[in-house]
Amino acid sequence: MVGTEQNTVSEPGVGGRSPGRVRRGPSTSDLARWSVSLGSVAAVLLIWELYGRAQETSLFFVPFSGVVAALWELGQTAEFWDAARQTMIPFVWGWVLSLVVGIGLGLLIGTYPMIEALTKPYVTFLNALPVSTLVPVAVILLGIGYSSRILIVFLFGVIEVTLNTAAGVRYVDRDLIEMGRAFNAPRWRLFRRVVLPAASPGIMAGVRIGTGRAVVGMVVVEILLVAVGMGRLILRYRGRFQSAELYAVVLALILFGILLQVVARQVERRVSRWKSEVEGNT
Amino acid sequence: MIEIKEIGRTFNTRDGGTFEALKDVTFSVKDKEFFSIIGPSGCGKTTLLKMAAGLTRPTTGSILIDGEAITGPGDDRAMVFQSFVLLPWADVLTNVGFGLEMRGMSRRESREAARPFLDRVGLTRFAEHYPHELSGGMQQRVGLARALAVAPDILLMDEPFGALDAQTRQLMQEDLMRLWDSEQKTVIFVTHSMDEAAYLSDRVLVMNTHPGTVREILDVPLPRPRDESVRRSSVFSELTSHMWHELRGMMGDPTAPAPE
Repeated sequence: MVGTEQNTVSEPGVGGRSPGRVRRGPSTSDLARWSVSLGSVAAVLLIWELYGRAQETSLFFVPFSGVVAALWELGQTAEFWDAARQTMIPFVWGWVLSLVVGIGLGLLIGTYPMIEALTKPYVTFLNALPVSTLVPVAVILLGIGYSSRILIVFLFGVIEVTLNTAAGVRYVDRDLIEMGRAFNAPRWRLFRRVVLPAASPGIMAGVRIGTGRAVVGMVVVEILLVAVGMGRLILRYRGRFQSAELYAVVLALILFGILLQVVARQVERRVSRWKSEVEGNT
Repeated sequence: MIEIKEIGRTFNTRDGGTFEALKDVTFSVKDKEFFSIIGPSGCGKTTLLKMAAGLTRPTTGSILIDGEAITGPGDDRAMVFQSFVLLPWADVLTNVGFGLEMRGMSRRESREAARPFLDRVGLTRFAEHYPHELSGGMQQRVGLARALAVAPDILLMDEPFGALDAQTRQLMQEDLMRLWDSEQKTVIFVTHSMDEAAYLSDRVLVMNTHPGTVREILDVPLPRPRDESVRRSSVFSELTSHMWHELRGMMGDPTAPAPE
């Protein structure tokens, strides 16, 4: 969770400079770090490939190339895209809802102690509980239609968004707020021009983590209870021991999750740029 | 005129007792006067300034500006902070225009209106820089320009140069002196530097600590406009040594004569 660091701007050090963070280990260039990451992935895929080819049967374990080929094949079928659409519609609804409600609720909780007290039991409850356990409850309450899946995706995502947003607001530099008050700022303008931008790193961290959780929720609900969309494909291929196709669907979901993470991280980096610059980069 | 009337402030301590930070503080500051408050750490001088800013309320007593009791922050006052307190995500021009934006100007209008104030503190070239790219002295110039931009009658300055190195500090004092000579605002200036208080002020309030009370109010009979040379005058050195004599008695220095 972000926002726990002191805002170094307010530190009355000589020259007002942030006192430079201690780096762990020698500094490495972006290129070097990218090379190591890519090399690591390449090595794992190679091992996967070799191990897969060494198998006598492709019933349980398929080489990476086989999975890619199966995904390519699947991509040509209408059934795959139909399943993707069925998965996507409730996901997008639940996800967007979790962001809207999470940010809104988080802002309220971070701002008003009474609202925090009011909501704390439920937030704690949801945070302590594996949300998967609510899948049967949601299905009993709402059936197996879109609404129950939207609810589950929403519940998976909303907690992280709420908690991180609330933390972001709570850890806004008190000095900034006092400064705004000293300039006789009306509440709303103070919120809009000081609290919101100061809390944005926390909010964006919540969006990023919540998005990841929502993707998990999307898959869990389909596999655990409602066999539709991509989840139904997974269950079917598992039942038929079509391992290549099974892995291909999983790979597609992973790629989708990564795509969302990358987008979320880019947005986060853009919005929170000031913070990393103030703290002397990471 | 600002009238501070019988101000008292008590805080509740953790162990359930009370701590008296300020007691029966009464003084007044004239229009266009440069008035400094000096005292040891913990004497409540910053608390006093925040009360004048309307950020915190006294437990007893009241503060009147031109006869009217203040109930909160107002457009007639602006504050300069020891730690600068600039918006780290906004560039210099937006920071200088912040007060104007809070008063209803659009972002664009406030940035435009901020330009002359940036010129006045000598940061014209840095309009598009971000606070963390500036030195401490430059950051505080932004803080000062931000306060001047809202055209306050009263400037409240809370140890504004306390976080700067000695050389920067002296430069800032001279610049502030020049600005004040041309702007003529009422200034309440909290400091713990005796040199600073003597160099800048018309009058200096020396505070006692535990609880904070008025010890004495000193006149600074130095001619204006002042420049560096006043620091070498005998009046200046008499003043600062008098302040030091008063203050060291409160600092727990065993070699000091006991305060009467």
